[in-house]
Amino acid sequence: MSKLMISADLEALRKKVLSQREAKSKWVTICTGTGCCAYGAEALADGFEKEIDKRGLCKTVGIRRTGCHGFCERGPLVVIESKGNICYVGAQLKDVPLIVEKSVVGSETVERLLYLDEETGKRVSRVEDIPFYNHQTRILLKNNALIDASNILDYIAVGGYSALAKALTGMSPVDVLNEVKEANLRGRGGAGFPAGVKWESARKAVETPKYVIVNADEGDPGAYMDRSLLEGNPHSVLEGLILGGYAIGASQGFIYVRQEYPMAHKHAQTAIDQAREYGLLGANIFGSTFSFDVKIHRGAGAFVSGESTALISAIEGHVGEPRPKYIHTTEKGLWGKPTCLNNVETWANVPFIINRGAKWFRTMGTEESKGTKIFSLVGKVNNTGLVEVPMGMSLRDIIFKIGGGLPKGKKFKAVQTGGPSGGVLPESMLDTPVGFDELTKVGSMMGSGGMIVMDQDTCMVDTARYYINFLAHESCGKCIPCREGLRQMLNILDRITAGAGKESDLDLLEELSEFMEMASLCALGQTAPNPVRSTIRYFREEFEAHIKEKRCPAGVCTALIEYEIDPVKCTACGACAKACAVGAIQKVDAKTYTVVQEKCIKCGACYSTCPDKWGAVVKVPALPATQSPAGPGALFEAKA
Amino acid sequence: METMTETATARPLPGQFDVVVIDDEETFTEGCRQTLEMGGFRAAVAKNGPQGLSLVRSAHPGVVLVDLKMPGMSGLEVLGQLSASAPCTVPIMVTGHGTMDSAVESMKVGAFDFLTKPFEPERLLESVRRGMSLNVLRKEREGVTEPVAVLAPAPDKNDLLLRGLEVLGEAYSLGLDNRQLFDELAYLEAEAKYHAQSLGQIKKKERAILDIRDDLRKVDTILEKYDFEKGALIQVLLDVQEKFNWLPRHILHWISARLNVTVKEIYTIAAFYETFSLKPRGRHCVQVCTGTACHVRGAAEMLTRVSATLGLQPGETDAEQQFSLTTVHCLGCCALAPVIQVDKQYYHSPSRNKLEKIIKSLDKEVQPVCLS
Repeated sequence: MSKLMISADLEALRKKVLSQREAKSKWVTICTGTGCCAYGAEALADGFEKEIDKRGLCKTVGIRRTGCHGFCERGPLVVIESKGNICYVGAQLKDVPLIVEKSVVGSETVERLLYLDEETGKRVSRVEDIPFYNHQTRILLKNNALIDASNILDYIAVGGYSALAKALTGMSPVDVLNEVKEANLRGRGGAGFPAGVKWESARKAVETPKYVIVNADEGDPGAYMDRSLLEGNPHSVLEGLILGGYAIGASQGFIYVRQEYPMAHKHAQTAIDQAREYGLLGANIFGSTFSFDVKIHRGAGAFVSGESTALISAIEGHVGEPRPKYIHTTEKGLWGKPTCLNNVETWANVPFIINRGAKWFRTMGTEESKGTKIFSLVGKVNNTGLVEVPMGMSLRDIIFKIGGGLPKGKKFKAVQTGGPSGGVLPESMLDTPVGFDELTKVGSMMGSGGMIVMDQDTCMVDTARYYINFLAHESCGKCIPCREGLRQMLNILDRITAGAGKESDLDLLEELSEFMEMASLCALGQTAPNPVRSTIRYFREEFEAHIKEKRCPAGVCTALIEYEIDPVKCTACGACAKACAVGAIQKVDAKTYTVVQEKCIKCGACYSTCPDKWGAVVKVPALPATQSPAGPGALFEAKA
Repeated sequence: METMTETATARPLPGQFDVVVIDDEETFTEGCRQTLEMGGFRAAVAKNGPQGLSLVRSAHPGVVLVDLKMPGMSGLEVLGQLSASAPCTVPIMVTGHGTMDSAVESMKVGAFDFLTKPFEPERLLESVRRGMSLNVLRKEREGVTEPVAVLAPAPDKNDLLLRGLEVLGEAYSLGLDNRQLFDELAYLEAEAKYHAQSLGQIKKKERAILDIRDDLRKVDTILEKYDFEKGALIQVLLDVQEKFNWLPRHILHWISARLNVTVKEIYTIAAFYETFSLKPRGRHCVQVCTGTACHVRGAAEMLTRVSATLGLQPGETDAEQQFSLTTVHCLGCCALAPVIQVDKQYYHSPSRNKLEKIIKSLDKEVQPVCLS
């Protein structure tokens, strides 16, 4: 393929691709994001290929494996595109011939595979009519469902790289920078620092060369929007990065991908190779004087490496530990040179801002937070998946309108935003609009966009312990306040969840929090107390129940509960006994089973196996005498 | 109780257990067994002297833990008979009534160490580790060969790994008692053993050296890909981890020489990042996601289930290096929570039945990646 020398070449190529595609009257698009693949999307796509081939429809029907559509809960997702579109949810391999027969050859729908709107009781065929989608504003995610990530022509067909062409032929680097600054694009990685300001200081820095970096070390547990963007539409991130390089005067970019995302790495590499082939990377892009290239670095599984200075250190080949930021990375970053680092989603916003202008971007969002934000709506919610909404939508709307509320009619208890640096918000805070400052004000934060919904069965003390355990494990140990503070916090929380908490523990946690916030070296330690602070702030009574009454109201903390079988409800089906991995459930007589407490490891397998209609396995508070919150030193007792 | 009768009736093979624990108190023996297994030792338990001795006679363990005071045959009597029936086995005396006299008496009848209950698990493991090393030396001296040793290539002074073992021997004869040194040496020993086991089917010792050479050539291809650039160290290690499934020691030394970075720096990186393993991993990797979304949807329960089905604790690899079980902070499949990844495939909360099917479906005959 010849390189694109001038911007007109891009437009010509786009028209050519589109006209070639007109030959096909229908497209079958199959979501092959990680979620759908787990449900067998790859096999499904193969099935469609075979079936279309068998019927000799290859010339008129195209097949496309796309990135994540977002509605992962109902995967695998199949969309038949012709004049309108038909969206099938949860299609299986055996359904392929029927779908092809009805919707590809004919123009009918297969009713049972359509989305069922619980509220109206009607089946919905168009994507736009599914409630999960129709409350969203999908800008960044839109193309994910339309293009094959491993084909640059797909991206060009939807108008890809036109922002780059526009910038390189008609805008100076300062114009690009001003546009982004005016749009008030704030960093999507967590802190919400204005990208334009960051770019400007990198541009003004004297030293050269300069570097731009994509931070795709998405370490927040419970968030996967960066993965989805990089897997589903890597060119949009790449285009943003090239634009950033142009604006600040860098000629080398890096994409730092975490190793746990092999597909993101693969697709990003393919995108880079293809962009080089078309002359969108390399020397004199679009015949301008601007040259730029990109390399990929893989992370190796360390949460703290997502911190900017740690990430830079890792690219240099050292251990990914943070360093003090007396001098900003925009002045002295990678190899001591000015470096501009932004999150995947931030970069992906740039082409849209350049194409449609800062004014358009500012029409969305709140006063201080502009544009849209992708959230990974997960946990105890009906429609889990990736949602993109304008800033300022309330948490309630996201969880109940888009997410469809909580499953099994359970009661909403809390929502966690911002990952391990964020906080937990109770029902009273549900009307908070999502925005950087708004969420910080109520004791949480935006973070990278994880939104984990919790229901009545979630224990808040356990949740706090979970995050502190995570952070204690991920703290790099370089500064003492973070390393020791987290360890002590974990000790205290371990004690409370084991039923050995003291009344003074809550004050001690508060004190530790304050100290860590002040004295830690990097954001990991400074924000680490947030999960503890917010849970104590909003769910103090739950902590007190653990400490004073040695009781876990949600029935989660294993030291404080026991499993029992209600002999009246038990139908002796034996399902629980089969599920038990340690043989702790024994048959008493023909009609009853019982839990042998000495053998029970409290895994809860029996509890979740027992059919809801019986509900015979119950959690009961454990007797205080059976608790033995044994530390490692107390493993061996001296003989009496 | 079950394990005890099983081991007592079905005669164990020599080398089947590393440690035998003899005590009449079941909570103690069970605690010890768990600690030892967590420390990587295969342990058997016996509830009295005679039973223990018969176990020792057939299994020839490296170390035996004996309680001083037991009804019937006392610990001292057990030790007295032990030296006749299993001269290489290293006895360690344990007691809840530690006095100077009893300690001296134990040492006189050949106890290698004397532990007073209660003790820290780490103290037990350290003592057993030292005992195991002494056992290796004793066996060498006596010319006793075990099944593993028969298959392994004969000792060769030029062999890189066996030289490590020599150093180990020297350290013990000098009575060095530094914990870090011990860990390092224990590691070296484990690695040498692993190589001996992996190369078991190969008769010629030259082959071992050739294999190491092949490994290093493979590493060179990786290094070339990154132009022998120092800054690419993490990327190089990631490729090595992917190719070999772990970071073998000889390879790390090789990288250090080739890239001109210190071994310390390499180890700092290897220990810092989760992805890297300094121990051989199984051919199949089972990763349980413990991300927040999975956590609130019952990841802990799933982990227990997976752990019980595989018979492995998180972080462990089975003896045949078939499976490794690890936990991971987030797989980024939060919508499917709770989720596990087996090799490259993701599964949404598999039941015990499903898990067993998945495990069975994996090809058991795949050769270790390291030797392909």
